[in-house]
Amino acid sequence: MKIAFIITHHPPTRPSPIIPEAIRLLSEWGVNVDVICPEEQMTDLSKVRVEHDLYVLKSGTELALSMAGILHVGGATILNPYPVAEMLRDKIMTSHILQAAGVPTPDAFVTADPKQLIPLLDDGPIVVKPYRGSQGRGVRVIRTANELNETTSEDGFLFAQRYYEPQGLDKKIYVIGDQVYGVKRVWPPRTYEEKLGEPFTISPDLHEIAIKCGRAFGIGLYGFDVIENNGRSYVVDMSSFPGFKGVPNAALRLADYIYSAGERVLSGTPLFPTLRKDALV
Amino acid sequence: MKTLIIGTGKIGCGFAGQLMRASGHEVVFASRNPAMVDYFNRIGSYRVRLAAGQNAEEHLIDQTRAVSTSNKKEMADELTSADLIITAVGAGQLAKIAPMLADGLRGRTTPVNVLAFENMTNAGSYLRQLIADNLPRDHSLAEHGFSSVLVSRAVSQQLGDPTSDDLITFIGDPIDTWVVDNAALCQSLPATQGMIVTENFEAWIQRKLYTYSAGHAITAYLGYLKGYHYIHTAIRDHEIRNAVLSAMKEGQRGLDARYGHEIAGSTRDLLDIISRFDNASLNDPITRVGRDPKRKLGCDDRLVGAARLAEKAGVNPEMLAFGVAAALFFDNPDDPSAADLQHAIRIIGAGSALRQVSGLDPSRGVGRLIADFWKQLSAGWRSGNQLLSLNSMVWAWS
Repeated sequence: MKIAFIITHHPPTRPSPIIPEAIRLLSEWGVNVDVICPEEQMTDLSKVRVEHDLYVLKSGTELALSMAGILHVGGATILNPYPVAEMLRDKIMTSHILQAAGVPTPDAFVTADPKQLIPLLDDGPIVVKPYRGSQGRGVRVIRTANELNETTSEDGFLFAQRYYEPQGLDKKIYVIGDQVYGVKRVWPPRTYEEKLGEPFTISPDLHEIAIKCGRAFGIGLYGFDVIENNGRSYVVDMSSFPGFKGVPNAALRLADYIYSAGERVLSGTPLFPTLRKDALV
Repeated sequence: MKTLIIGTGKIGCGFAGQLMRASGHEVVFASRNPAMVDYFNRIGSYRVRLAAGQNAEEHLIDQTRAVSTSNKKEMADELTSADLIITAVGAGQLAKIAPMLADGLRGRTTPVNVLAFENMTNAGSYLRQLIADNLPRDHSLAEHGFSSVLVSRAVSQQLGDPTSDDLITFIGDPIDTWVVDNAALCQSLPATQGMIVTENFEAWIQRKLYTYSAGHAITAYLGYLKGYHYIHTAIRDHEIRNAVLSAMKEGQRGLDARYGHEIAGSTRDLLDIISRFDNASLNDPITRVGRDPKRKLGCDDRLVGAARLAEKAGVNPEMLAFGVAAALFFDNPDDPSAADLQHAIRIIGAGSALRQVSGLDPSRGVGRLIADFWKQLSAGWRSGNQLLSLNSMVWAWS
């Protein structure tokens, strides 16, 4: 079995031992694992070929996505599929697809003119986010028209969501296959230990939301952030391949899932039996 | 020395055939599969890859041939002229080959040993009875030997297409040992690689059942509760690893009290067993190892049998009981035995279902221990849920 991981190396200030450990386990299990770091090498685009049974797209950088796109066109099996990873990088599409799938998400708006968002403030604060952002970068809570007037965006437009004040700890839900895990942590986490947070038993409602999120995109490897406000849960962000920090035995569970996916590829079994066709085009 | 091996599956080729050829026997296979018969007669060779992690050794098994079990004359010829007969067809198929064996043995003028390489503890005596049922009453089988064989190697895969010219490969773990019941033999067997001939066959069966098989099953049932797909991944989970080792130690202490240290083995032996579960080359899915929980929870079978033996030795079989409780949650809808057991638990309750499959009283001794663990687990279990921690019994969702 040949598997390639498309990754970005994190700086030492952001330790991320889970993926290296999963790679080590897969290698021990006899899998031929290659690691591709698109940012650290020069790639002759004419020589990019599908050479692995399975690609694991861990990196969400623009270059990694482009490489995954090339492999996708070449017929590669990618975990998660390139079109889904691309959609989940786009908060506008993600928000709409989740809403359409019946997932509770904050009302979301997009406009090139910040002034058009001012009436929304009558009902409470909003939060603006870069539409392809991650790790909380560039996220601002807007409470007044003045703050909105001072808001600029490199995107040329603003993506805004209704803001719900988090009550209690930050909650992350991670899904590996049909397994759903909850991790709660302080926000913002300052240390690696704080990032690991603490696993918690999630409610049946959150479990159902987690299943709906996966079905909406036809994938089994994802994570999302939940904010609970006045007894309601809202999915405020979803990512294709999160860090799974805090999931008990995360590396082992990921390796188990990826190994199983590789087996399915080798046996000719579809990897994404529930994938919505319209999500792939 | 001509050995006839009936069955060209994983154990027939991936174990018996390899060891017999390595010991210098002439090997003739008998198969009901025309493609396999044709393959052996065209190619004559195959490979056995014995793998543990990234280490693998490959053996070429050559100069073999095959006959079709549907060719009565050729089968009779081979059965009458073989020096040793081996079956490796699967216990469920023994009744189907018994008439053919009866015909062949009737034509023999010399005694022969028939070794049943089947996953069935009494396969030898069972096969003898099946053959006797196909012979006239006055025809005695007394001159022949019929021994069960305890096979240690796990052969997980057969790769390759017998209709092509490429060599078929069988993949297994690098364990050679096989144990034969001396009391069931009609004459001594020639020295053969990996063979142990014992006067205490039952003890060897229990040793395998109450350590290896018990540990394997518990890895599967706890792995299922924690959401893993493979034995080699579940056993890497420290909680599961510790629980499995503890359970096997309980079984071993029971064996020690009954048969002594030589049969029971050492902690090193148990660690060797765990390292076999670690072997990803076997690629053993949890759903396969855990299948048929009704049989595996039988009174004398790997889990309940081991727990009862431990209890008799004054050992509290806590982890074996936990393994049995976990087995009561093995809810694989593709497994009729598991589906039956789940249905019974829903209708009559876990205690009564346990009594039905294992004969244990859920209000006493091991039965009570199991029932108590079942209660603790059932507080958080939902179909598809995962246990995050065995020690604190935290569930993924509830």
